[in-house]
Amino acid sequence: MIAAGAARAVASQKFHRAVSPKAFSLITAFAFILLIFAAITRSMIAADLPRESEFDYDPPPPGSYTLPVVKLAADGVLLDTNNKAVNLRDLTHGRVTVLSFVYTRCAAPKACPYATGVLGQLHDMTAKDETLARNMRLVSISFDPDYDTPQHLAAYSENVREEKSGCEWRFVTAKSRAELEPILLAYDQAVDKRSNPADPQGPLYHTLRVFLIDREGRIRNIYSSSTLDPRLVLADVKTLLLEEPKLSKQ
Amino acid sequence: MKLPITCQLDIVRISVIASALALTLAFSPRITRADETCSSPYLARIDGQEEFVYVWTLGVEGLGDGQDKLVTVDVRPGSSTYGKVISTASVDGRNEAHHGGFTDDRRQLWCAGLETSRVFIFDVHTDPAKPKLTKTIDNFAETTGGAIGPHGAYALPGRVIIPCLSNATDKGGRTALVEYSNDGNYIATHWLPTKDVARGAANAQFADGYGYDARVLPRKNALLTSSFTGWNNYTTDFGKMTADAEAMKHFGNTMVMWDFHTRQPKKVFEVPGAPLEIRWAWGDKHNYAFTATALGSKLWLVYADDKGEWQAKEVAPISDVKGGVLPVDISLSADDKTLFVDSFGDGKCRVFDVSDPQHPKQIYEKEIGKQVNMVSQSWDGKRLYFTSSLLAHWDKQGADNEQFLRAYAWDGKELKPRFDLDFTALKLGRPHHMLFGSTKIGSPRTVASIR
Repeated sequence: MIAAGAARAVASQKFHRAVSPKAFSLITAFAFILLIFAAITRSMIAADLPRESEFDYDPPPPGSYTLPVVKLAADGVLLDTNNKAVNLRDLTHGRVTVLSFVYTRCAAPKACPYATGVLGQLHDMTAKDETLARNMRLVSISFDPDYDTPQHLAAYSENVREEKSGCEWRFVTAKSRAELEPILLAYDQAVDKRSNPADPQGPLYHTLRVFLIDREGRIRNIYSSSTLDPRLVLADVKTLLLEEPKLSKQ
Repeated sequence: MKLPITCQLDIVRISVIASALALTLAFSPRITRADETCSSPYLARIDGQEEFVYVWTLGVEGLGDGQDKLVTVDVRPGSSTYGKVISTASVDGRNEAHHGGFTDDRRQLWCAGLETSRVFIFDVHTDPAKPKLTKTIDNFAETTGGAIGPHGAYALPGRVIIPCLSNATDKGGRTALVEYSNDGNYIATHWLPTKDVARGAANAQFADGYGYDARVLPRKNALLTSSFTGWNNYTTDFGKMTADAEAMKHFGNTMVMWDFHTRQPKKVFEVPGAPLEIRWAWGDKHNYAFTATALGSKLWLVYADDKGEWQAKEVAPISDVKGGVLPVDISLSADDKTLFVDSFGDGKCRVFDVSDPQHPKQIYEKEIGKQVNMVSQSWDGKRLYFTSSLLAHWDKQGADNEQFLRAYAWDGKELKPRFDLDFTALKLGRPHHMLFGSTKIGSPRTVASIR
C-alpha cells in the first residue's frame, strides 16, 4: 500500500530529482522488488487495504466514533493550475475535504511524497465509489510558490493523478510566499528553509500536516506521517458523511 | 523483453523512491540524534545534541521572585555558559508547576500548574535560548467541563493532549484527558472510565476513573493511561496525608488501554499502587510499555501477548526497602535495553537491564541527592539530567529539602557527575520537569534503530 502510494507521489519528481547513472544501477534491483510489491498492493486499493507494520491495527468502523471540531478552516486567496485566483474557502466548503500542504521539491520519504501518495490512493478509491466521488474533495497546497508555479503544479498534478474520474483534486499555489504566510499561520503549518539548500531531503523543513475538513469548513482531524493511514482517513471521511442523515441513506 | 509502458513508468517512480531512501540512509548516520527518550513520537526531533534544558520550576515564597518559572540551562558543549542558567521566564504566582510538553512542531512549550489548573504557553522557536510566555489558559475547568489538575501536555499532530489528575466537583481522583489545538483552542474532553460509566471498556469492574500519564504507540493505535491521585491529596502536606487512612484510599490502581484514534477506552488493567510514568518501547517490534507504581514500588509491564491482546503484569520489585522507596520518574533508553528509575524516598536512581522486558534486572544504583524526582535522558543514552522536587507539599523538609538540577554522563556502567545547579542558592525554586531545547530541529521519529 505504502509502496504503491509513494511510487505515484514521487513520480512527479522526475522533473527535477535527477538520479545519477551510478546510483540508478545500484538501486535497480531494489526498484524491481518494490515494483512487484507496488503492483500487488495497487491491486488491493479498491478492496480492503491491508495492515502495514507501521499501521498495525484494524481501523475503526466508520460512524462508530466522533471527530470533534478542531477549529475553522481559514480562508485566503490562492492560484489554481490555470493561474486563476481561487478562494480557499471555496475549496474547504461543500464537500468533505482532505487538504495537504506540500512542496514538489520535497524528497523526505515520509513527508510530501508520502502525503501525495495517500491522497492519490484516496483519489483512486473515489473513482470506484460514486458517493465518495460526489462528496469528497482533495486539495494539495504548495508552500513553495517560487518553484511550484501554476504551470509546474499543472504538470505535477497530471503526473500523480492516475484516475481521470474520481473526486475533485485541486492543486493550488500562491503568488508569493508573503501572500501564503497568513494561510500557513492559520493552519499552523511550520515551514523553514534548511540551513543547507542542497539537503537531500529538499530545501525546506516542515511538519507534515494533512487536514480533514467537513462540508461546513470545520477542521475535524489533523494527520501527520505517523497517523496518515489511508484506511483511517477513509474511515474519517465516511464518518463525516454518516453524520449527514440524507447521505447515509444513499 | 520489453516492459509495458506502465511498468517502465513504475520503474522510474520506484527508482526515485529508492534513491530518496538511499540518500536518507546515506546521510542519517552522519547526524548524531539526541533528544529525551520519553517524549512524544509525534514531536519534531533535535538534530545533534541538546543545547538547552528547560526546567519548569515551582516558585517558593520568599525565594527570589517567588513565582513559578521556566528556567533555561545551557548544555552546549564548549559554551562559556555551559551548565549555567542563561534565562528565566516567570509566570504569575505559584501554580504547582509540574509537567510540560512541546507542540509537535516544537515551536511551543506548554507548562501546566496542578493547583491552579493554569496552562502557560511559551514560544521556544523565536529564541530557543530565551523562551517567552505568549499565552495563558486560565479557564481550564470551565472550558473542559470540569477537568482540573492539568498534568503536562503531550504532542499529537496539530494538537496536544493533556492528561489531568482531578475534577472540579469533588477534587478527587476522577478525571479526564483534554485536547487543545496548537493555537490554544479547546477541542474535547474524554473522561476516564469508571465502573458506572465504563464507555465500553473491558474489565470495567476495576475502573476507578483516575488519571496521570497518557502516551501513544502510533503503529498499534494504542493510547495508554495511568493513575495517581486527586487535587485533595496532592495539595495536602505529605505527612498529614499519609497519616490519614481515608486519604490514602484515594489513589489510582489502574491503567487503561484506549483506541487512540477514536479515543475510546478498550480495557482496564488492575495495577495497584499508583502507576505513574508510562514509557513505550521504541523498537519497531517492541509492543510493550513500562511503568512504576509509586506506592507499590514495583515495575510493571503492559504488553501485547502472543494473540495480540494487551496485558499488564508486575515484572520486578524496585528495591527491597520495607515500605517502598516511592518510585517516581522512569526513563527508557532508546535501544529499549536500559531503564533508569528514580525513587523520591531514598533519592536514588536505580538502573535496570530490561533487554528481557519480562525479567528486568537491577544492574546499578546511585544516590543522586536527599530527594530526587525527574530524570531525562538524551537519545544517545550518554547524558542524564535529574531534578529534585516532587510537589510543593510533598518535598522533604529541612536539610533533606535539596533542590537541584544535576547532570551526569552514563557510560553503560556508572553515572559520572557533569554539573550541579543549586536551585535554592540561585533563588529559583523547586525544579521539576525537564525538556530539551535546540536551535536545530528535525523530523519526528516514531521508532528507533535498535543498536
